Amino acid sequence: MGGPGGSRALELLRSLPRVSLANLRPSPGSKKKEKRRGRGRYGGRKCGRGHKGERQRGNRPRLGFEGGQTPFYLAIPKYGFNEGHSLRRQYQPLSLQKLQYLIDLGRVDPTQPIDLTQLTNARGVTVQPLKRDYGIQLVEEGADIFSAKVNIEVQRASELAIATIEKNGGVITTSFYDPRSLEILIKPVVFFLRGQPIPKRMLPPEDLVRYYTDASNRGYLADPSKVEEARLELAKKYGYSLPDITKDELFKMLSTRKDPRQIFFGLAPGWIVNMADKKILKPTDERLLKYYSS
Amino acid sequence: MAARTLRALCRPRLLVAGSSRRAAAGAEFRSAYSLDKLYPPRGGGGGGGDTGSEQEAKPPALDIPMDRLTVSYCRSSGPGGQNVNKVNTKAEVRFHLASADWIPEAVRQKMASMHKNKINRAGELIVNSEESRYQMRNLAICLEKIRVMVTEATEKPKVVSKETAQELIARVEKMNRERLRQKKIHSNIKQSRKADFD
Repeated sequence: MGGPGGSRALELLRSLPRVSLANLRPSPGSKKKEKRRGRGRYGGRKCGRGHKGERQRGNRPRLGFEGGQTPFYLAIPKYGFNEGHSLRRQYQPLSLQKLQYLIDLGRVDPTQPIDLTQLTNARGVTVQPLKRDYGIQLVEEGADIFSAKVNIEVQRASELAIATIEKNGGVITTSFYDPRSLEILIKPVVFFLRGQPIPKRMLPPEDLVRYYTDASNRGYLADPSKVEEARLELAKKYGYSLPDITKDELFKMLSTRKDPRQIFFGLAPGWIVNMADKKILKPTDERLLKYYSS
Repeated sequence: MAARTLRALCRPRLLVAGSSRRAAAGAEFRSAYSLDKLYPPRGGGGGGGDTGSEQEAKPPALDIPMDRLTVSYCRSSGPGGQNVNKVNTKAEVRFHLASADWIPEAVRQKMASMHKNKINRAGELIVNSEESRYQMRNLAICLEKIRVMVTEATEKPKVVSKETAQELIARVEKMNRERLRQKKIHSNIKQSRKADFD
């Protein structure tokens, strides 16, 4: 359609008349005519209001009114189902099936550690930190067909999901991101353009410390030796033989982990990333260095 | 044992990798909360000593050798539409009970008598599970069932010592005596209310 070097379009442009209001038209089907009342047999006469009564005269009672009977929304007693809903932590689910789908399509690279940033760039998950999302949770759907060796970091994971990942020779870690770090993690470029130094990731709140120091959840603050024991225990429970990742060629990649205060792989807190000049600025003052490595 | 060797393999190699990378790139970030500061690597039985000192709440689960079992998957029963019709989620585990030397001999015989309805003519104990939607979980449930069977067959019947048996009999007799005494008292009270005019 373009012709060699796009010359056909150029020829067309030269020969056709000037674009003006006289020769522009919307594409057929894009503009639908609105329904106008009071015109003709079908839009007119009663104009869609019905026959007499409150309906035609526009005097219907409020929504929910049931003619005097105690309405549903008042008859049912109050109960705190949604009480404190805006203070509850939410985690977007990511099924193993979706993860396998993304890896198969090449949207997520299993030869690099998989992070929330990688998943967001691949448009596999959408996390909204402003809606009390604290990250993603790994869900078991697709556990039987999952067959990828990955080093993945999520915020929560169920036991079967952990077992599936480790059965296929991968490594899974659960870690905590406070809302500010989460927002930076999912949109890194937007953050870098602000010109602020990368903040240090905060430690989990009291009620989550227990979760993240537990080896059975593969928490990022758990004892590595206990994690090893938990891996063996899980292998015994689910009846698979634990593959030895030390003998793997990708062992170095599989064992990379972020420091608890680090948000990005390879970037430390306190650094400023200059996107325009493609430079990284690091602090040199010892007080700043002491603060950012505390 | 395997865990300790794996740990020993992992830690030095990770440290070596970290230090070489640090030397090369100069920027392996370590904050005050990094894992090697939170859990400093101790030599030898540091990790073993810890687990030994704290009370083992539950005994270690029975080690089932997977290569001695025959695992097969087939489609589960029940409602569920296309998913239950097509996906193989029911897990069935069978193994020859008499030749299973990972179970002690006495326990094997006890199991053969307790679960004779689950043993087929070839002498294989069959355990199946279709409770979960996932094959892996059904397999885990089968293994758990086998472990429970072995535990049940291992438990010895409670032997009540002579003293305890005598104490129990004495208790029952005392209860009956007390009951009869209370009954007599009550009967006297009711009698005393009767006005008997002779």
